[in-house]
Formats: sequence, C-alpha cells, structure tokens
Amino acid sequence: MSERIKVIVDGKEVMLEKDANLLSELRKAGYDVPGLCYYEKVSHTGSCRLCVFRRKGSAKLETSCTVAVCENMDIELFTADIEEHRKNLLQLILASHKHDCMTCEKSGACELEALAYRYGLDLDSEIFPSIVDKTLKKDKSSPVLCYDPQKCIACYRCVKACDEIQEKHIIDMDGRSFHTVVSAGYNEWGGSDCDGCGECLQACPVGAITSKTAAGKGRHWELGSVITTCEYCGVGCQLKIYTKGDEIIKVEGVDAPANRGRLCVKGRFGHDYIRSPERITKPLIKENGAFREASWDEALDLAAKKFMDIKEKNGANALGGLASARCTNEENYIFQKFIRSVFGTNNVDHCARLCHASTVAGLAITFGSGAMTNTNTGFEDSDCIFIIGSNTTETHPVISTFVKNAVRKGAVLIVADPRRIDLARRAKVHLQQRNGSDVALVNGLMHIIYKENLHNKEFIEAHTEGFKEFAEVIEKYTPEKVSKLTGISEEKLYFAARAYAKAKNASIIFSMGITQHTTGVDNVMSLANLAMIAGQIGRHATGVNPLRGQNNVQGACDMGALPNVYSGYQKVVDAPVKEKFEKAWNAKMDDKVGLTVVEMMNAAGEGKLKGLYIMGENPMVSDPNLHHVEESLKKLELLVVQDIFLTETAKLAHIVLPVTATLEKDGTFTNTERRVQVIRKVLEPLDGTRNDWEIVADLAGRMGYKMGYGNVWDILKEINALTPIYGGMTPERVPSGLHWPCPNAEHPGTPFLHKDGNFSKGKGTFKPIEFKEPAELPDGKYPYTLSTGRILCHYHTGTMSRKVDALNAYVKEGYVEISASDAAKLGIQNGAKVKVASRRGEIIITAKITDRVVPGSVFIPFHFVETAANRLTNDALDPIAKIPEFKVAACNIEKV
Amino acid sequence: MNTSDKKARIVLENAGRIDPLSIKEYMNSGGYEALKKALSMQSSAVVDEVKRSGLRGRGGAGFPTGLKWSFTAPLQGQKYILCNADEGEPGTFKDRLVMEGDPHKLIEGMIIAGYAIGASEGFIYIRGEYYASIEKIEKAIAAAEAEGLLCEKVLGKEFAFKLSVRKGAGAYVCGEETALIESMEGKRGNPRVKPPFPGVSGLWGRPTVVNNVETLANIPYIIKNGADAFRKIGTEKSPGTKVFLLSGKVKEPKAIEAPMGTTLRQLIYDLGGGLAGGIKFKCALVGGAAGAFLGEDMLDVPMDYDNLLAKGAVLGSGVVMVLSEKEEVMPVLKNLMEFFVHESCGQCAPCRTGNKMILDLLGRIEAGKIAAEKGFEMILKAASTMKETSLCALGQSPILPISSALKYYSRELTIK
Amino acid sequence: MTDVKTPAADIKAINSILDAYSGKTGILIPLLQDIQEKFNYIPREAVELISEKFHIPYTKITGVITFYAQFRTEPVGKYIIRTCMGTACFVNGGENILDAIREALNVEIGATTGDGLFTLEKVACLGCCSLAPVVMINDEVFGNLTPQKIKTVIENFKKRESK
Repeated sequence: MSERIKVIVDGKEVMLEKDANLLSELRKAGYDVPGLCYYEKVSHTGSCRLCVFRRKGSAKLETSCTVAVCENMDIELFTADIEEHRKNLLQLILASHKHDCMTCEKSGACELEALAYRYGLDLDSEIFPSIVDKTLKKDKSSPVLCYDPQKCIACYRCVKACDEIQEKHIIDMDGRSFHTVVSAGYNEWGGSDCDGCGECLQACPVGAITSKTAAGKGRHWELGSVITTCEYCGVGCQLKIYTKGDEIIKVEGVDAPANRGRLCVKGRFGHDYIRSPERITKPLIKENGAFREASWDEALDLAAKKFMDIKEKNGANALGGLASARCTNEENYIFQKFIRSVFGTNNVDHCARLCHASTVAGLAITFGSGAMTNTNTGFEDSDCIFIIGSNTTETHPVISTFVKNAVRKGAVLIVADPRRIDLARRAKVHLQQRNGSDVALVNGLMHIIYKENLHNKEFIEAHTEGFKEFAEVIEKYTPEKVSKLTGISEEKLYFAARAYAKAKNASIIFSMGITQHTTGVDNVMSLANLAMIAGQIGRHATGVNPLRGQNNVQGACDMGALPNVYSGYQKVVDAPVKEKFEKAWNAKMDDKVGLTVVEMMNAAGEGKLKGLYIMGENPMVSDPNLHHVEESLKKLELLVVQDIFLTETAKLAHIVLPVTATLEKDGTFTNTERRVQVIRKVLEPLDGTRNDWEIVADLAGRMGYKMGYGNVWDILKEINALTPIYGGMTPERVPSGLHWPCPNAEHPGTPFLHKDGNFSKGKGTFKPIEFKEPAELPDGKYPYTLSTGRILCHYHTGTMSRKVDALNAYVKEGYVEISASDAAKLGIQNGAKVKVASRRGEIIITAKITDRVVPGSVFIPFHFVETAANRLTNDALDPIAKIPEFKVAACNIEKV
Repeated sequence: MNTSDKKARIVLENAGRIDPLSIKEYMNSGGYEALKKALSMQSSAVVDEVKRSGLRGRGGAGFPTGLKWSFTAPLQGQKYILCNADEGEPGTFKDRLVMEGDPHKLIEGMIIAGYAIGASEGFIYIRGEYYASIEKIEKAIAAAEAEGLLCEKVLGKEFAFKLSVRKGAGAYVCGEETALIESMEGKRGNPRVKPPFPGVSGLWGRPTVVNNVETLANIPYIIKNGADAFRKIGTEKSPGTKVFLLSGKVKEPKAIEAPMGTTLRQLIYDLGGGLAGGIKFKCALVGGAAGAFLGEDMLDVPMDYDNLLAKGAVLGSGVVMVLSEKEEVMPVLKNLMEFFVHESCGQCAPCRTGNKMILDLLGRIEAGKIAAEKGFEMILKAASTMKETSLCALGQSPILPISSALKYYSRELTIK
Repeated sequence: MTDVKTPAADIKAINSILDAYSGKTGILIPLLQDIQEKFNYIPREAVELISEKFHIPYTKITGVITFYAQFRTEPVGKYIIRTCMGTACFVNGGENILDAIREALNVEIGATTGDGLFTLEKVACLGCCSLAPVVMINDEVFGNLTPQKIKTVIENFKKRESK
C-alpha cells in the first residue's frame, strides 16, 4: 500500500511515502520542519504557516502540512529566505502571545517556546512590539481546565481535537481577526457540556489551555513520568503519569493501540484519591464493635487461625472468597489459587457476576468464548454499529469516540436504549424499547431479516447449527407483535434490521443494559443469534462486543476468579483439568462448581457460609438488595477485607488489611478487548500497606501452604504455564499489548475472534429464545420502572472517584432522573428531594428533571452510598448466569 | 489595440436606460437572446466561446473565465454556479450598479454559465447591506421564473436550472471564493486551503464555479455577439471593458465603463472632470484596498491586468480613488489597515497578527514613538512575510498599498 | 451579555422561523438573519433552539454569530446608523460626519441612545463611494453629507418619532 517515492529536498534525494502528508513524511525523514498548528490526529488547518516550502521553479510558498507527497517533487525547505519568513512569522506570533514563560505552566513543554529558542528569538531580537489584547479575560469556569486567550495562538488544534477526535463539539473559534479566540459559548467552559476529557489540553501547543489541577505544582522539567494502564474502566487507556515526589501532577494519554492517546475525565484528572488521608495504612482488628490497629503478624495470624477453625468445624465449603476486578491478573490468579488450594473450595467469584456473567455464559453457549470479539479502535471501521444497552459515552468514554468517528465517516448507528442517551442523538435511529423487552426486540429484527431474505445463508450453512428450530421461534415475532411488546414503531424496526443485515461490517456493542436482567443470558444469546443470522462476525470491525466495565474484569474472569472455572476458562468439573491443577498446585481440588456472589450472600444469610475473604470488592454498594447483603455479611463468623479504604464493606469486617493502590504496584490488566497490558508503579506504596498478592501468599503460608513467588512476574510465568489462552503472554511480551488467545511465545495474539466463522467451539449455535417479562413489573403500588447504571465522572462504588475534587466538581451526589411529565404529575421541582421506594427499601434523593428518561421510568446512578440505588434493586437472578436484575425494578416516587 | 470607443458599454449597457424590473424591457433591448443562442449550442461550445473571448475574472484576480469553466464542465454529478456579489472592497460599487440597474443581465449570465458548466443550481451571494440589490434581484428571479427561464426545462430544453439569493452577513473575506462557499454552508467564512479548488470540490464538496457579478454580466454579450466582437474591445490580453470606479477628490465621482487599457489620465481628466476644486493631483489608489498608490508618472499607463502588473500595480476591482495634494497618505493608509484588521478572518497567523501589527506600528510612527524609517522597515518586514505566507489574498494584500504609499509619505514628512 | 429571559411569545416566534427551515441544511446564516430581522438581535434562546432542532453544536452557532459583523447579541436601537468609513468616505471627511453624529446623539460607536432610538455603528465601505461621505440609516442611504446635513437628517428622524 505504501509506495515510497523519490523527493528532492534542498537538493538532496529522500524517499517518502506517496500520498502521505508531506510535513509528517519530512519529519519522519529527519527534517525538523517547524509547525505549530499541525497535529497528526486531526485534519490539517494550515494556520501557522511555519512549515512552508517552495516547489522548484514556483514563486509561491505552500504549506507542507496541507500537501500530499507526489511524484516529481523538488522542493526548497530550508533556504535562507524561507527561514527568514519563518523567523518573521514566529516573531509575529510571539508578539500576539503573552509570553510570561517564567510562570507559565507550559514552560518546558511549550512548542512555541522551543521554536523561539531554536530560532534565537530573545528579547533583544524581538523586533515587533506586543499586540496582545490585555482586555481578553481567562475562562476559568471549567473544573479542570483554564483557557487564557492572551496566550492562544489560534492554531485550531483544540477545536479540532474536540470536533474530530472526541467529537464533543464543545468549543469553536469565536470572533475574528486578532480577536479570534477559543470559546465554549455564552456560558463559558464551565456552563457548557464539556465533560473534562482534556483532549484540547493535550492538543494545545502552548500554555493557552492548562490543567487547573496541575497549576503551581511543578515545572515540566521537574516531573518524572511513568507509563501505565488506567485503573478505572475496562477500555484500558494507556496513561503517562507525571509525578513530583509523592504527588501525581498531570496525566497525558499515550498513543497506544487501546486508546490512541485519548482519555476521559477520570483517566486524566481522577487519580487524587491515591493520597487521600482516608487511605488505611495499618491492619485493623474489630474488638467490641470497634476497630483497633494491629500489626501485620497479629492480623494475619488471627485471620489464618479463624479461617482454619471454620474449615475444620464446618468444612471447606463454609468458606468463600471474592476476588476483584480492580486487582491485577496476577493477584486474581493467586487469590483463586488460594481459595481453591488453601480453603479447598470453588466458592470464589467477583463482581463480574454483577455485570457480565450473562455474557460469559451466553456467548460461551453460542460462540464458545465469552468476550469482546473485536477491538476498541476497530469500531472506527464498522459501517453499521448497533448499540444496545450500553451508554457508551459515559461508561466507556474512549470507545464511544471511535464509534463517533465511524459515524462521521458514514457508518449507520442504531441505538437501542430505553433512555435518550448521548449517542441516541447521533444515531440514524433510536429504538427506545420498554425496559426488559430486549429479546422481543432482537427477535423482531431477526424476523425481518429472515422474512426479507437478508439472512446470510452461506454463513448459516457453513458455520452454524440449530438454525431450523431457531427460525421457528423468530417466525412468531412479527413486526406488529414486537412493536406492541417493545413500544418501537414498525418502521424503525425495519430500518434497523435492514441496515444491520445489509452492512458490510456491522458491530454489535452491548453492556449491562443487556446483561443485568433475569433474562441476561437470553438477551446475550439473542444478540449472538443476530450476528450469526446476518453473518456479521469473524472479521475485522465485525462482531459482538460486550464492553467490560472494570479495568480488569476481563482479567479477573480470565484468571478463574469464578466458581466454575480455573484460569483460562478451564472447567472445575473436568477431571483432566482438575488433575492438572492438583498436580501443579500440589493440593486437592473440589470438583463441584462453587457459589456465586449472590449465592454466597444468601448462604451467609442462611448461616451456611461462615467465613468470607474479600479482596478489593465493595458489595455493600455494588450488590442488589443491600439491606439483605448487610444482614448476611453481619452474620459471618469471619469477614476479612483487604482494600485501600475503609469501605462500606470493610466497616463490617472483623479484620481489615491495608493494601497498595493500582498506581503503587506492578502487574498486568486485561482490558475489554482481551488485550493484556502492563501496569507500572507510579508512586511508592504508602508505608504500612502491602500488595494484595503478597498478603494472600503470606496468609497462605500461615495456613500451611507455601507460595514462593519473588515478584509478580513469577506469578505471570505460572499463569503462562497453566493457562493456554495466556501461554504466550510472557513477562517479556506483555508490554506490547497482545490480545488473547495467545497460546505460545511465537503467537501474535488474536485481535478478533472466530475468524471467518470458525467459532471457538467449532460451529456457532443458534438458540431459540422466547421473550419473558422482567421479574418485577410496575403495578399500582410501585408504578414506576427503575433502572440503574453508571455516569461518566464517577466510578463503580465511588471509593476512588468520590475522593477526587475535580470529579466531584462535576457531580457530587446521587440523583434520580425523572421525566418532566411525571415530575409535573407528582408536583416535583427540579432539584427537589424525593423519596424513591421499592419492595426492598427506600432512599431520599434529589430529582433531576430530564428528557433522557421516558414517562413511567426513572434512572439512578448507583455510585453514591448515601443514595444507594441498590437499596431498591431486585436481587432476582438469571437462572443460568445468576446475575441480578439491576436494570428493572418497580418503584414508587413521592415528594418529601 | 486600444480602441478609441470610450463609450463601449457591455456591463452597464442597460443601466439607467431601462426599467430594471421589467423583463419585457430587457427582452426588448435584446435580453435573453444570448440565452436562447447558448441553449441551441453544445454546452462545450459555450465554454469554448467564452474561452476564445479572453474574458478574465472581474473580481480582481483576472483569471481567464473560460479556462475556469473548462475545469468544471467535464466533471460529473451535481455542480453549482455561484455569483460573488459580496462587494465590500473600499471604493467598489460596480456589482451594485449591475444588480440594481440591470438585474436580468446577471441572471442571464448565470443561466448561461450554469448551462455551460452543467450546473443545475445557482446562488447569488449578495452583500447583506445591499438591500436594493437583493430586492431587485429577487424580483427579477421571480420574473424570470414566470417566463420559464428558471425551471425544470429552461426555454423548453432539457436543461434544469434554479437560482436563489443568499445574503452575506458582513465579512469582506467572504469575497474569497472558498470563504464564500464556507459561508454558504453555514460556517465561519474561513478560506479553505487550496487545492482542492472549488472547480473540483466546492459547495458541499461538489464542483463549483464562482464568478463575480461583472464577469457574469459580460457573458450575454459574448454569446450574443461572439468572442471576436468582444475581443475588438479592450486590449489583446485583457479584452472587453472594465467598470472603473472613480471616487475621492475627483470632480465627478462615478462608475465609468470603459475599454480595458483606458489610462488613468483619461479616466480622471477626460471622464471624471479632473480634480475637485482644481487642486493638484497627488496620487490615486488604484485597484482597491489591495491596490497601489499611483502618481503622475503612471497617469498614462494603459490600465489592464498585465500592463499594471508590469508596473507593480494591480487592476483589482477597478477602483480609482483620487487624492489631491491636500490629502496625506498616512491617514489613508491607516484607514486601509483598519479595514484589513477588521476583515481578517483570523485563521492564519500572518494575517491575524500582521495586519494588527502594521496598524499598531503606523500609529506609533504617527505618534512619533518610533522613527518613521525604522517603523516602515518593520512594517515592510511584516507585510512581505504576510505576502509570501498568508493563506489567502487578504493577508497577501497590504504590502502593495504600503510600499507604494511610502514615497508620498516621505515627501509629506520632508514638507512638514 | 445581559441575561434577560425571552418571553414565551418570542420563543414561539423563533420556533416559527425555525420551522420554515426544517429539514434543510446549510441554512444557519439565513436562519440567523431571519431571527435578527425579527428581533433586531439574536436572543440567546434562539441559539439554544437552533442547536437543538438542527443538531448544530452550540459553539458552531456562536462562532458564526461572532464571525459576521452583521450579527448582534444585544438589542439595538430602532434606527441603526451605519457611518461609512470606507476609504472614499474617509478621504471625503467621513470622520467629521461621525463626530457630528456623536455630538448630535451623545452616543459612542457601538452604543445605543438612552431613548432606544439610535445605535451608532462605524462600518467599512458601503459601496456608495460616488456619494461619499455616506451614512445608512436602516436601509436608507444618505450621501454627499456634511456635518450640518447629517444633523438635519437626524433631527428629522427625531421629529418623526416624537409625533
């Protein structure tokens, strides 16, 4: 594709890539062509004019940033006259730029400063007087950014970064001539829809846009930096974290394959929790209802003794453990090994149960592998994207940017969501289905595809099984019937079905709007059916993509922190597998599937489970029906919790162990696209804390089982040896970010699964699925449908994000979204307190009137413990995946 | 080559002679005959005729119109013809005279242009403050529609053409063709990077020809009378007439349509009645804000694109703004720079910063804060870099008025 | 920017202007011109409504409003006096005309008289150079002015209003 051709530059021949950007090619070839407006990631502007060149024989100068490399190029680039013009230009730009470099945050990283230095522009040689308009005022209204128009060089990089990379369209140039400045509109940055992703900040070549949180904390050259993986969501963005001493100063996105330099507000500004005074640094033992500090020896000995007592008295299955989607692969691996080898039970699970258990089960049944089939950035190349049950812009912000990029390139976006989420505005069609009617909707789409003969017969014939029985079921889901069940017009159903089936490369994206239902597995299998009927799977940018929530939820599952499988989804009920692990771990394994999260809570409530070991989870906010969770945890004879904070769950523990935070340790995370990435120590651990894996190993030793690892890489080597899909993910290779499966050290990894219809399980299986109503429907007493979920600027149970001032500045407390008509009916004003009650509990919460929810429905983000949505949610389970129905509960609302 | 016919009228032929709103009167004086003729020709023959006529763009740049059309004509799909009537150059009022005096001539020119290049839709982008022009053109369009001249089958032929007016919103830079297109698309009027040129990718990314009012008003004459007749007027390389715009300290400020190649002397003294109050001539700003100050030594240069260019000046929009010995150039220069500062779109650095810099420096020179010699050295440095590096003509412009004004300014200084 | 709430009737008027452009693209400038014609400036609410209805990002609209000299974001007087400062008018004494108006109305450039009748603007060439110096009051052109003549013109406007 890339043909290199000869170009003559100042009389010298160089080989450049044909049709590529000339400036970029010249720079790659070693020519340090100056330029302030050129930014490789966005369309060219040609505004600074510094990169000018002249074709031999031509009189006029052209900008190399706006020209493509072509045949017969013979150019002048660094002649004396061109350099003179560059110098004049720089002087003009400097004269219009407030250069208070002595106190400027950007000093040391400023591109204008660097050019001024390079061209020897000192105060003596500055021929032009300042023309800076001193009346232009800073915009300091954003919680995280500051814009100084007196420093702005109007290069358009920020505007284009916002428009073309993140596609938020928050800012534009305002005014004209020398009053051309960046503006976020009448209400300034703070009053705009800016969500603080900071793409503009990263794009700014000078100190015009600066980080408020980094202000005054250190000059650029004083800062150290480490590249690591973001500790928030599953996208797995690579961060370059700048530190000074023990403080995180600022964060830049790294141009890595997972995120291409893009970040969200949490990734860029959300790390201050790490030095919160609320971090715990001493083991705590509860005595007479209160905690006292203890030594590590005392705490661990006590835990070991008590766990052993329970095991002796009540058997291994009276014990259980919750691993953590927040911890590393190595820690999760060690933890499940501990539970299986030392406790001797398969009662190990983690919060994946609450998010994607239905995905893992549903896709395993249909495809043979329960993970995202494609890559984060691959969405950019899809020409039809069907998003169902994923508020992608808030839950996986960076992935949503690639979706938006695809839409700009012409992809058809179909959004199915009961709420009018941000992406619904950008969709060709928004299917606003009634909560919980997903199976009907998807069956309806497949009915149309089948009836219109749009199904991919060759694919179905060659690569799938069970189509006939399946077809009999979808036959029944006529558009008329589905329209009634879902509330979506037939016209929209037809449009969506045709667009998806006819697309060259169609992607399905789903998340917890699909999985967190009592029909979660059915929902997931329906989507698998949809992909198979249209043959939209097994190619680049074409497949079924469950977006995983937590930074390492994929990894925790991969590592076997699940009651039914060892690492790499090797089944505990398989005798040869059991034998392999017994031999490798030198211990007896239980051959029965263990208890899931909610089942463990139930068992604890019933007194059957007596000892629970929790590593970094917070079920006291994350689990459904919190009242019940609290009662259950209180009944335990021993609850050991290790965490960075004294969480709501830790407060109920008998022993609390203080651990290092993600940014204080090494290891690997596996992101949502199955890419294994390295995390690196950014700050030294707080005194008194220990790594999770070291605590587990220490505890194992005190319980008579030796775990002799020198460091995390020793653990990874053991994972390589025992986990086929991770076989080639060696410590040497993980920095390159490979996708599993990667069975050996030569394997390049697998960016997309089920290549050419060759499913992991052989043939893909169609599952006939009938629509079932949610477990709880609105009725006279509880007439509203409650749904729960996440919002952009907070994360999961809020233990980290809610300790970050910058994030709290966006949203500080919980709220309930309610439609204007319901609010009017109930006499509720925007911002008023209301009581939301369900059969399981009630909360007092602030009302937010919005058109995002339809009348009859309300939505509550679950991050906020004071207004915990999970006091209301239903713990009814999917029969296969045992996932609770977080997305549908009946509730009532009252004015208070 | 210069014809002696000082009264040659093509563009303003009907202005002031017929009722501009009467399509009948226009037709009675031969209007829309050119259109009939054009539609009987192959569209490529129309392009060839215009090419042969040697007509050059009257907006200022002087690019051969037929050649411009020939780039777009062979391209497939939706195409557009835009008429640039966003007249805003100081001293310029020729487009307004056409639109208010003979709107049908422009409409006829546009329909022919649309046919020639294969555009089915045209827009006339008229300066917003030109209320009368807008009104007259809109009424004329309605009349033309009623006559079947703007419809699915123009004059019954297999040629669909529709025409509408867009009002400018007050940005001189939108006279730049790509800025005009951006504005048409509802955006800030920032000129685009060229290439691609509008002829290939213009409005909505489709091939688009942008022509000035005066250019299009020449088209009916060329088609009706043939390229040869047109070439008999004016000079060899700049055939036809030019509407010159006489203003300033001249006795009879007015628009004069005269053959290309008419001299400054003829314009000012023969046609404009000399200077007001009989004061001595100092110089004239010729070509518009982006033009040059020309003195007595230039009075006899035949004014067309090439002759003026050879003397380091430009024909521009045809502005001739006369200064007498009583006026100083410094305030005029400042006035011009205020105009450029106000009208720079702010997109490219040299124009955004340079114009303001020059204006500031002029102020400093005037206030005696900086020596004139030193000040002008800085100004020329800025202006020459602006000329070489600016993205569009606006930023490339100030060098000419500044450098040409210098000798008058130094003379004024010595007198003081 | 004054933060005055637009009355509901005005919102209705804005919406009816927007409706006329429904389904069309590239209409931002004509749309804003229609709104300004109705209100003589662009109310903030109009920007919000346009953004919502036509899916044009908010700042793409404010960016356009601030780019073009025609658009105003504040109410102006009943009569807008555009004093031409194009080079021809300038040479022929445009500044004296401007001073005369300032004096007659006691108002600065860009401001509106206390009675809300007149807003004074200084503009580049109005394309009436053969009549220089020139002033345009709304859509009416007054040429060949002297300071005395423009004062009379303004007096006449005032008289017309006081009747």
